[in-house]
Amino acid sequence: MVAQFLGLKLRLLANIFRRSPIQLVGIIIGLVYGLGLAIVAVIGLIGLRFVDAPLAASITVTIGSVVVAAFLLVPLAFGVDDTLDPRAFSLFGVSTTRIAAGLAVAALVGVPALAIAVIAVAQVVTWTRNPLATILALLGAMIIVVTCVLGARVSTSIAAFLLATRRAREITGLIALIVVVSLSPLVVALTAVNWQRDGLFVLSGVSDVAGWTPLGAVWSAPAEAASGHIGLALAKFAIAVVFAGALWFAWRALVGWMLVTPQREARTKRYSGLGWFASVPATQTGAIAARSITYWVRDARYHTSLVAIPIAPLIFVVALAVAGVPGSVLALIPVPAMSLFLSWAIHNDVSYDHSAIWLHVASNVSGRADRLGRIVPALILGVPLILIGSPVSASIYGDPSVLPSMIGVSFSVLLAGLGLSSVISARFPYPAVRPGDSPFAQPQASGTAAGLIQSVAFFAAIILALPALGLAALGLMYGGAWPTLSLLVGVGLGVVFLVLGVIWGGAIFNRRGPELLAFTLRN
Amino acid sequence: MASEAAAPETAAPDAQAAGAGTPSSTPIRAPRKPISLPRLPISLPRLPVSLPRLPVKKRTAVVPRTEAAVAPGTVDGSARENADPGIVLRVTDLVKRFGNTVAVDQVSLSVPAGTIFGIVGPNGAGKTTTLSMVTGLLRPDGGTVAVHGADVWSDPVVAKRNMGVLPDRLRLFDRLTGGQLLYYSGILRGLDAATVRARSHDLALAFGLEDALGRLVADYSAGMTKKIALASAMIHSPRLLVLDEPFESVDPVSAANVTEILQKYVAAGGTVVLSSHSMDLIQRICDLVAIVVSGRVLAAGTMEDVRGAGSLEERFVELAGGRKTAEGMEWLHSFSD
Repeated sequence: MVAQFLGLKLRLLANIFRRSPIQLVGIIIGLVYGLGLAIVAVIGLIGLRFVDAPLAASITVTIGSVVVAAFLLVPLAFGVDDTLDPRAFSLFGVSTTRIAAGLAVAALVGVPALAIAVIAVAQVVTWTRNPLATILALLGAMIIVVTCVLGARVSTSIAAFLLATRRAREITGLIALIVVVSLSPLVVALTAVNWQRDGLFVLSGVSDVAGWTPLGAVWSAPAEAASGHIGLALAKFAIAVVFAGALWFAWRALVGWMLVTPQREARTKRYSGLGWFASVPATQTGAIAARSITYWVRDARYHTSLVAIPIAPLIFVVALAVAGVPGSVLALIPVPAMSLFLSWAIHNDVSYDHSAIWLHVASNVSGRADRLGRIVPALILGVPLILIGSPVSASIYGDPSVLPSMIGVSFSVLLAGLGLSSVISARFPYPAVRPGDSPFAQPQASGTAAGLIQSVAFFAAIILALPALGLAALGLMYGGAWPTLSLLVGVGLGVVFLVLGVIWGGAIFNRRGPELLAFTLRN
Repeated sequence: MASEAAAPETAAPDAQAAGAGTPSSTPIRAPRKPISLPRLPISLPRLPVSLPRLPVKKRTAVVPRTEAAVAPGTVDGSARENADPGIVLRVTDLVKRFGNTVAVDQVSLSVPAGTIFGIVGPNGAGKTTTLSMVTGLLRPDGGTVAVHGADVWSDPVVAKRNMGVLPDRLRLFDRLTGGQLLYYSGILRGLDAATVRARSHDLALAFGLEDALGRLVADYSAGMTKKIALASAMIHSPRLLVLDEPFESVDPVSAANVTEILQKYVAAGGTVVLSSHSMDLIQRICDLVAIVVSGRVLAAGTMEDVRGAGSLEERFVELAGGRKTAEGMEWLHSFSD
């Protein structure tokens, strides 16, 4: 049985190489990258053999804990395509334990498992300092491999099974994003550490804690033995063994449960009434606006934009602050930057609909109504943002005379950007995440074209706002009537570009409706 | 023109003969009263679920007779133009190529008002491609499509207004609730809010979706999704319904309901073009049928003409290239333990 599972896994691996050349290049780069990292780690671990035991322990335990955590968490957050899902074998009439064991052994075949095995063996070299340390490191190598492989199996199955519903998939993606974003202060804090002076201190502090967790215990046990703490070494080794055993039982139980449980059913939420549709005029534009607003509220793909729009300028501001730009100047950045991101967010809106756009084509929706309806949510968010955010920014800056320029530039960026997005989303759609997929599941076809369209949409909006920006800069330098002029020119040009964009984009939409539908169907 | 579907043309002579015996001189789009008419011997052998039906040829009789009075001598069909008031959908020499494959090869069809027109064909025959071009969702490489006299590709405003569409395998705006999707479809079609609300209510009742209107369409089962899409296609009361696989994954009870709705709609003068894999269903509910194989119309006309003496399924299998006899499968008959 185990042999058959192994054979299957090997064949699946071999089939990876039977794809298109471009994918193959990607896979080979991934392979080289993964094994290259492992080789670097091996060299480092051998080098640590000649370093003091406490220092070597700090480094191996910290990095080892991160590696084990990655095996446990990455499949959960980003969902891995599970080719050897236990449910695939439920109809073959094999006992649960044999399936669980077979799949666990088969999971040893693969690039991540190979890389971790190489590293686990290399850390034995680091700890060949006394007999007990060597023995614990040797046994530990096996436990490291088992922990990582079983941990990845368990979390992959949880991702495929418990998080299989649409809502759960979307929410885990969002949580991952928020976690990554909230880690950024930590990264900033870490860069602030004077590594040459305090680095070892920080590292040993982390490893002292991590060494007692299941993630780091196995790496820490031989280190304790090498330092002569036999009791601590055995205790940590016991933690590691218990954790690996617990993972096995969790895996065995999960397989048993998955084999007899159907796909988890989502509990569906009920809505009453027509929602946004009841509060807009009953016209094509109104209905499309209500539909767009509803999607911004309900669809995880728009949630990513909503989360990113306030955060992206903040990261920018933090980076500038670290570089030493004074706070009063930084106060001028967020509002125009958020307006820019907001208008940029809908530059691929048609692709987000995927083939549902047929309804607009079959109903002969006018292009202008379609364009106008789609920009309504961005206006609903953007106009109050500018009107409230600009005075706040100006007061932080400390000079109310910048307020007109601030409003002028922000409106110029928002309105001209929306006009630009109206044209680009009708003329140059590129593959987007499909409805219901995780917001991070990037479509395969997205490539250079997508990147080019994204940058053009972004920088062209800035170029269209250059007149207002220039006048605002003159206002900052000379004061006088320049800020008022910036306000008038910014709002005026913004409105002009918005109207032109809606008319032009609408004409393109009218002409290319069937082609847009055909495009969405190709993805 | 090799594959012209001569539905009204073949119907016309019989129609006049049959029409002579009919007492009423019905206007073109007036609702007929099926119950009061005498049933002729050529009527469909298997009656549909609920509605008493007109014999097929009597139904098409209504139109050509009026027309013959206007333009005598044109009943053979060759001189008829798109302006023909009795033809709701006229497809002429439609061609679509994908690369080197010709998906649709000079398909021509004429669908008279007040009929259910079935398109059958094996997988990949070009049914969906044809219907996509008819509904304005896919640009043809050649040929014309006219709905109620208006060309779909040069006069889309009028043509699309007269059409209700149920595409196959296209997404819906499924983050809307069922009620919102119906409302959205109605407003996009230019109805006012009060009408849409009233019709949404009626449609939900008719399709058994009352309890589902408050749930997201993304959470619907396949059959319910089909039903809400079908309801959305009808909400603006079009003259022509183009339905691609309307019965796929719909349960038998709902299918019977849908059939009844379609038959009442046709009895009131509406026209339905549908595709299906279920020969039995097509034979039961369609007046006219076209068999499409490899992008060509191999047979078209009234159900009686196309199926001849046998069933539609037999005729279809014969035209589609015959069945492969399953030889060498004897092992399946001795069971392993």
